[in-house]
Amino acid sequence: MAEIKLKLKKQPKFPLEADVITPDILAGKPAAEIKKLLLYYGNESVKLGDFFDVMGKSTNPRDTKIIIDGDLSNVKRIGEKMTDGEIIINGDVGMHVGNQMEGGKITVNGNAGDWAGAMLKGGELEITGDAGNYIGAAYRGFWIGMENGTIKVGGKIGRESMLWARSSKGAAQFPILMCGAAGSFLGMHNHGGTIMVEGDVDRCAGADQVWGQIIIKGKVSKLLPSFKKIGETNEIELPNGQKVSGKFIEYSGDHSVNKETKGRLYLAA
Amino acid sequence: MVDKNVKTYYDVICPFCGTLCDDLEIDVDQKEQKVVEVRNGCQIGTRKFYSSNPSEHRYTTPLIRENGSFKETSWDEAIDKAADILVKAKRPLLYGFASTECDAQAKGVELAEILGGILDNTASVCHGPTLLAEQDVGVPTSTLGEYKNRADLVIFWGSNPVHAHPRHLGRYSDFVRGYFRQDGRNDRFIVVVDPRNTNTAQIADLYIRVNPNEDYELFNAIRATLRGVEIDEKEVAGVPKDDIVKLVNIMKDSHYGVIFFGMGLTQTISHHRNIDAAVCLTRELNNYTKFLITPMRGHYNITGANAVFTWNTGYAYSMDFSRGYARYNPGEFSSVDVLMRDEIDASLIVASDPASNFPAGAVKNMFKHPLISIEPHHTPTSVNADIILPAAFAGIETEGTAYRMDHVPLRLRKVKDPPGNVLSDKKILERLIEKVKEKKGE
Repeated sequence: MAEIKLKLKKQPKFPLEADVITPDILAGKPAAEIKKLLLYYGNESVKLGDFFDVMGKSTNPRDTKIIIDGDLSNVKRIGEKMTDGEIIINGDVGMHVGNQMEGGKITVNGNAGDWAGAMLKGGELEITGDAGNYIGAAYRGFWIGMENGTIKVGGKIGRESMLWARSSKGAAQFPILMCGAAGSFLGMHNHGGTIMVEGDVDRCAGADQVWGQIIIKGKVSKLLPSFKKIGETNEIELPNGQKVSGKFIEYSGDHSVNKETKGRLYLAA
Repeated sequence: MVDKNVKTYYDVICPFCGTLCDDLEIDVDQKEQKVVEVRNGCQIGTRKFYSSNPSEHRYTTPLIRENGSFKETSWDEAIDKAADILVKAKRPLLYGFASTECDAQAKGVELAEILGGILDNTASVCHGPTLLAEQDVGVPTSTLGEYKNRADLVIFWGSNPVHAHPRHLGRYSDFVRGYFRQDGRNDRFIVVVDPRNTNTAQIADLYIRVNPNEDYELFNAIRATLRGVEIDEKEVAGVPKDDIVKLVNIMKDSHYGVIFFGMGLTQTISHHRNIDAAVCLTRELNNYTKFLITPMRGHYNITGANAVFTWNTGYAYSMDFSRGYARYNPGEFSSVDVLMRDEIDASLIVASDPASNFPAGAVKNMFKHPLISIEPHHTPTSVNADIILPAAFAGIETEGTAYRMDHVPLRLRKVKDPPGNVLSDKKILERLIEKVKEKKGE
């Protein structure tokens, strides 16, 4: 894989919108041309070279590996709508990393801001640290959020993550979110998404879930009254065929949406 | 004895709360241009008319801060300095707009677009969550006149109209006689859901005490019960299961029900998700009877601010023009959040007082940068501003349009002249736009 290395030179005072940093756009461009790409900074546009050192070159998106160093916590929209290739971010990153991405892989070796992987359509987003609110969620007013792909977060994620996720058996699209712990309203309005949490989850998990699976290996601070205990299980089969073993109590819900529901919530026994 | 100097204005719209009462009678001393008597208004609305009278609290001329104290200045200089601040700013915030009329709000949108700034109104800290939920799940709603004539079940959830919208009960929702509710109060069943035993709760037929911050769980249990699901818990959010079943039956048995909700839902921990659940419950109740829902909007023209912003940009609040077009994302572009993250470098506050309402951290960051205030009287925001542009009271000293909480537009009246060297919000914003364009060479 051909590497393109970016290094943040100075901290932006205002949020820096860097939606051009994707393998699709950087591939095939020499460093001098990459430096001329536009970023948005306050109400002005600036050149990528004003904020980043650039090294390396690649030919096509598939063979491109972008490595970004520095504290990017005020840099937004890296990897927006990317379709292929790889991005590795060494440091914290701001909002909307990998939003609406369709393919490829992003690794964040640090924490990520809100809306990481929002409305993901494919590919893989991995965050080793914590992540903000609305991870893999639908943007405001959208009824279809994450449709495919995988998000893995090592640490805790914030509120309302994986909002309005929607899978499709016909198209074999199964959005998956894995995380260490999660805030309230995890998987709200879920329509077929799979969520696996290693640790604890705050209140209202699976609120308004129509169908899908939420697997919690830790504790829930409070389960919604509309979830009903239906039994115990030792093995859970995920929609993509993968199996999770362990002792779980199985709940059905959310019954405030439907009397009969295919929505399930598994809580470690 | 009739004082010849006093003229009475009838059917004046009250520019205080979202109820927008349209039957006030105002006596104005023509010589001194002073409000001498207000009839039909509630306590708060009446006080607003009196507060427009000349006093030491009103600004009558533009002020600029120099060496820590305010200096009187001309309009030309004040507008020039204000435009300078705005043009130099890379990320200016334009906030407020709830307590002014629609034309001024439209000018605010124009200015924000020219500046490439962040534009927000006070919905951001009151019923913004309502708008978010409405975008997610829609809203079955109606005008207040329908409720007055038809509703036999009125639910106040997280709202306390006795204090916040005093004449709402008498005009639309409780004591008033309607076409199909000839016996007024006796023809209506009033339910109040609130953690506190408020004055509204004290005049209700049924008071349900919900635990603070657990409204979502209660909605959830009500919705499940309505679907015929028996919930396992004996008590949800501090409400016994039997009471939940009783409430569900009351709702199903009503002929025409309405939920009026306030900031007890929008600004407690579940925010827009409370409204999401309330709207879904309302929708589901329509399988059994007619049921509707209406937010109790606070500022008299915040509904108008949302409407005006939406017809200009497509979005109701919390938007960013930095890329030349409007982008909407509360949480990212909402004023409290941008201030908490210290992302702005100048602010223009129009007809609002964020310093009294925003979190301390946000206010501190706002005061760090140049601040321009368009404001009729002393507020915690204006006294900390760098430039104060004195405005006339919309709806008292200037005409204009305002939207009632149910989206009915009403024409505001002018009953007196503003004191001193004061301009309308619209005029001030027009002059700012002109100056900003000139400085940007457009």
